[in-house]
Amino acid sequence: MQSTPMSNAEMRAPRKALYVFEAPVRIWHWLHALSIIVLAATGYLIANPLPSIGGEASQHFMMGNLRMIHFIAGYVFGIGFLVRIYWGIVGNKYSRELFYLPIWRKSWWKDLWGEILFYSFIRREAPPSVAHNALAQAAIWFFNTVLGLFLIFTGFALYSEGLGLESWADTWFGWVIPLLGGSQSVRMWHLFGMWLILFFAIIHIYMAVRADVMTRQTSVSAIISGWRHYRD
Amino acid sequence: MTEIVTPNGFTLDDAGQRVVVDPICRIEGHLRIEVNVDDDNIIRNAVSTGNMWRGLEVILKGRDPRDAWAFTERICGVCTGVHALLSCRAVEDALAIEIPKNANSIRNLMMLAQYTQDHLVHFYHLHALDWVDVVSALSADPRATSELQQSISNWPKSSPGYFRDVQNKIKRFVESGQLGPFANAYWGSPAYKLPPEANLMAVTHYLEALDFQKEIVKIHTIFGGRNPHPNWLVGGMPCSINVNETGATGAINMAWLNQVSDIINASIDFIDQVYIPDLKAIASFYTDWTFGGGLSGKNVMSYGEFPALANNYTNESWMLPNGAILNGDLSTVYDVDPRDPEQIQEFVTHSWYSYPNPDQGLHPWDGVTVPNFELGPNLKGTKTNIEAIDEQAKYSWLKAPRWRGNAMEVGPLARFLVAYARGHEEVKELVDSTLTDLGLPITALFSTLGRTAARGLECSWSAHKMRGVFDDMMANIKAGDVSTANMEKWEPATWPKDTKGVGIGEAPRGALGHWVHIKDTKLENYQAVVPTTWNASPRDSQGNIGAYEAALLGTPMADPAQPLEILRTIHSFDPCLACASHVMSPDGQELAVVKIR
Amino acid sequence: MPTRDTFYEVMRRHGVTRRSFLKFCSLTAAGLGLGPEFAGKIAHALETKPRTPVIWLHGLECTCCTESFIRSGHPLAGDVVLSMISLDYDDTLMAAAGHQAEELLEQTIEKYDGQYILACEGNPPLNEDGMYCIQAGKPYVEKLRHMADHCKAIVAWGSCASWGCVQAARPNPTRATPIHKVILDKPIVKVPGCPPIAEVMTGVLTYMIAFDELPELDRQGRPKMFYSQRLHDKCYRRPHFDAGQFVEHFDDEGARKGYCLYKVGCKGPTTYNACSTVEWNGGLSWPVKSGHGCLGCAEDNFWDKGSFYSAVTDFGVMGGAEATADKVGGILAGAAAIGVAAHAAASVVSHMTRGKAQETSHD
Repeated sequence: MQSTPMSNAEMRAPRKALYVFEAPVRIWHWLHALSIIVLAATGYLIANPLPSIGGEASQHFMMGNLRMIHFIAGYVFGIGFLVRIYWGIVGNKYSRELFYLPIWRKSWWKDLWGEILFYSFIRREAPPSVAHNALAQAAIWFFNTVLGLFLIFTGFALYSEGLGLESWADTWFGWVIPLLGGSQSVRMWHLFGMWLILFFAIIHIYMAVRADVMTRQTSVSAIISGWRHYRD
Repeated sequence: MTEIVTPNGFTLDDAGQRVVVDPICRIEGHLRIEVNVDDDNIIRNAVSTGNMWRGLEVILKGRDPRDAWAFTERICGVCTGVHALLSCRAVEDALAIEIPKNANSIRNLMMLAQYTQDHLVHFYHLHALDWVDVVSALSADPRATSELQQSISNWPKSSPGYFRDVQNKIKRFVESGQLGPFANAYWGSPAYKLPPEANLMAVTHYLEALDFQKEIVKIHTIFGGRNPHPNWLVGGMPCSINVNETGATGAINMAWLNQVSDIINASIDFIDQVYIPDLKAIASFYTDWTFGGGLSGKNVMSYGEFPALANNYTNESWMLPNGAILNGDLSTVYDVDPRDPEQIQEFVTHSWYSYPNPDQGLHPWDGVTVPNFELGPNLKGTKTNIEAIDEQAKYSWLKAPRWRGNAMEVGPLARFLVAYARGHEEVKELVDSTLTDLGLPITALFSTLGRTAARGLECSWSAHKMRGVFDDMMANIKAGDVSTANMEKWEPATWPKDTKGVGIGEAPRGALGHWVHIKDTKLENYQAVVPTTWNASPRDSQGNIGAYEAALLGTPMADPAQPLEILRTIHSFDPCLACASHVMSPDGQELAVVKIR
Repeated sequence: MPTRDTFYEVMRRHGVTRRSFLKFCSLTAAGLGLGPEFAGKIAHALETKPRTPVIWLHGLECTCCTESFIRSGHPLAGDVVLSMISLDYDDTLMAAAGHQAEELLEQTIEKYDGQYILACEGNPPLNEDGMYCIQAGKPYVEKLRHMADHCKAIVAWGSCASWGCVQAARPNPTRATPIHKVILDKPIVKVPGCPPIAEVMTGVLTYMIAFDELPELDRQGRPKMFYSQRLHDKCYRRPHFDAGQFVEHFDDEGARKGYCLYKVGCKGPTTYNACSTVEWNGGLSWPVKSGHGCLGCAEDNFWDKGSFYSAVTDFGVMGGAEATADKVGGILAGAAAIGVAAHAAASVVSHMTRGKAQETSHD
């Protein structure tokens, strides 16, 4: 599977619109975003619970519910990720951009440098690109794919502790716990992973909106409709 | 060297045969003793080597002062809890935290329970086999043993049948050929003086005490959650009291308090009906074994323990007083001030550490520890196979603490001597009545047996004291005060930027002090000077010998190949080497590279 | 070589009837969480085997494991030592000392080569050629290796032997090293905890003797029978956790009602041990029940996981400010927000100063 970027001629060719994000990619994107919001909110509250509730324990299930919601959202995040990998295989060439970095390609490194200079206001023109530019691809590869997998592995490892030894989750993910130095450390890294995702989300949203506002191509609407429009 | 006289008045002569005992068993940790005996097998030179170093205070640097109690508690699992308590006291002193009355009572109860259990286990399981011949018990007449038992106490387990069962149990054990912990010992040595009946009684109580000791510590389990290593809290105690409100089952309630009360009663019974009568009976056969006095007749010291008043660590409050006695002069007792840089200092001339100024003593707040494992030129053996140590050079992992330059003995005997000299009523009565019973003068206390006797008497004193402390606490709760922790200064934002504190007290084995320096809410320096460091200390820069070395001098050995007499005297101090071989944190200094010569 | 008694013979000679012997076996089976069919197996094992020799060594430690062991109520420590095992070497309890004590090690190797259990309390330091722990003039690690060479299996008592524990906490000045990193060729059963629960210690040991096999171990070498669940999973305060009822400060209203200690740093949710079920000192209580959170003492390197009083622990950055995941993460997210705002402002300025410059690009 390889996704050769378009030739320069192809890119420079004037066009009005391009179908970039297929429906499964768009659905996944928004489900993923939603699950991240839910996971982050519940996860933060599991680590830092709300002020204590009075009354009898049997009348409340606050932490229990928070954890349950967290687990459901975790399943959405994890299974969605699997489906997205599948779509990365069968989907269009843009659909695989988040799973690999073409570091063997000199032009990619050149583009990456060009993007950095562009966003630092040093260079006026950004290198040409279609779905994700080199910098965006690097960021998305790291924060979405690598970090996402890290959160899935640490998350399901923690989940396996509740399911118990020899459960499916323990068999698949239990090994993560000793690897990272014990349950408490896994929690700490899992929580830190959440903050990294939020860090990325802020920049990601800014970049998308900025692209819409300041460049000639659409970005936010593209992940809704799938079509990237080119103005002027 | 042939013969020298140390500044503290002991004559050392290393001309005779060298006897090495390593490991000294039935202690906590790893200790080596070497002695020279003359032609009459009398000990003329003694060398005490601390065999281990763990580096706990280095590890404490930079940590949260509220966590320090848990680290220091792991200095020792035998005197469990005492380091944790002293750590809390030191941090509370530094941060000016006042603990509630109930917390003070609970801490006292836990510490008293520790004294009671620790002394009991020490006597039967770590010390008794130095006096009691297990094999001789096999030839005892159970009926005579029963009569002996009934003549000395009202303890109900005293029938001939009971003693016969125990005797049979031991017989089968011995006949199995698998002697376990009793193998290869010194049974039949002429140094054992008890008749078979007394031996059988003592062995029986060895087993009973093993079963009973675990009951006493349940006081720790109730207030601290477990034993060994119960939980403590800076600012008070973590257990809350709730006797008459909703949810009382989740806190210290009447059911728990009643259980504590019952444990106190059972402890008093066991100590007064088993331990004390055994101690007196055994001692009566050894009254002519008067060795092992060492420093006890000269310099003894106690920091004081069991504050009757919360947050008051002075003689106004101590149930066992603070004080130091020099040169055996009981008429003058000096106050010991842990803050005075001139009083408590540690030396490393003969310890495996280096100081910027090698022969100068340092007060714990200014302490430095850089390990420096260096062996002397007269060593026999190699670096990793020491056959005989060279005591002219560095020879121990323990430092040499000194009070105003004097080597001091600490421990139950020291506490009792200080209390006696201070005119402490309860202690005077206990000591005087025991001495009268055995027909001995007060000077008889300055001996191995004196140390062992003082520990027993203190055990009884502690068990009874629990009753009083418990009743006071109940009265306080009845008056409406259920508070157990003061959390006003829990948050680091409320702390001073740079502050020092000290916590002093008495572990079962003797004077214990923790010194802390807190800077920017973290531990900048942490230092503990512990009882076994005082007692087992190597020589200092002046050549003063420590309490172990002093106590061994002049003791005749029945057979130098069987170090029974050495064990007796060393065990009478109840050594705890894991405590002693801690380390001082160097202020920002890296651990030095070690050189061997 | 003396005849080795079976456990059953010893019990009979102690006056135990066959009937009560069998009752003991079924209680043991139940105590280990095994079905009644195992009682027969235990009885058979105990009837036919001599007492297994145990060599108990002490490295760098605090002796809390031995102290815990002698607190065992079922079975009593005295019975374990006199009737179940043959404790042929234990420097904390043995009557002999010096070379008489050390001779026993060689005797055991001679008589029971490959048959004895090596119980290790504490760990060996490796720095300074091992001379931070000297025994009989030699480094402890030599003694450990020598005795391990001839043993059948090793029991690593407590967190020192299992993980390293307090002397191995940062910066581990003596390079104290857990047993499994020094002895690589023997089966090792880790029984962590600082100390482990008495009945867990005697339970593991009696299982090994009664069944003549190692207990089933988890990934990290701990017996599943006692270490397969977190304290939190069976904590009696768990309903308060699920409800969201927490002790906010020690000795507050919640503390007096026995609420969950999670917010004051309880490590029960991340600690594998049997405290919440077996409990301590004869099943009397355990840390959470007494009002203090779990320190996590059975977990690897629990000393370096940040404050014992915070639920969210740190990265173990020493000497500096506490760096919890929340603090570091919050700063990162805040920095991202500020960075984004600054970049947006700069973009606008750049856009305006460059006039109608045509830009190409992207999201």
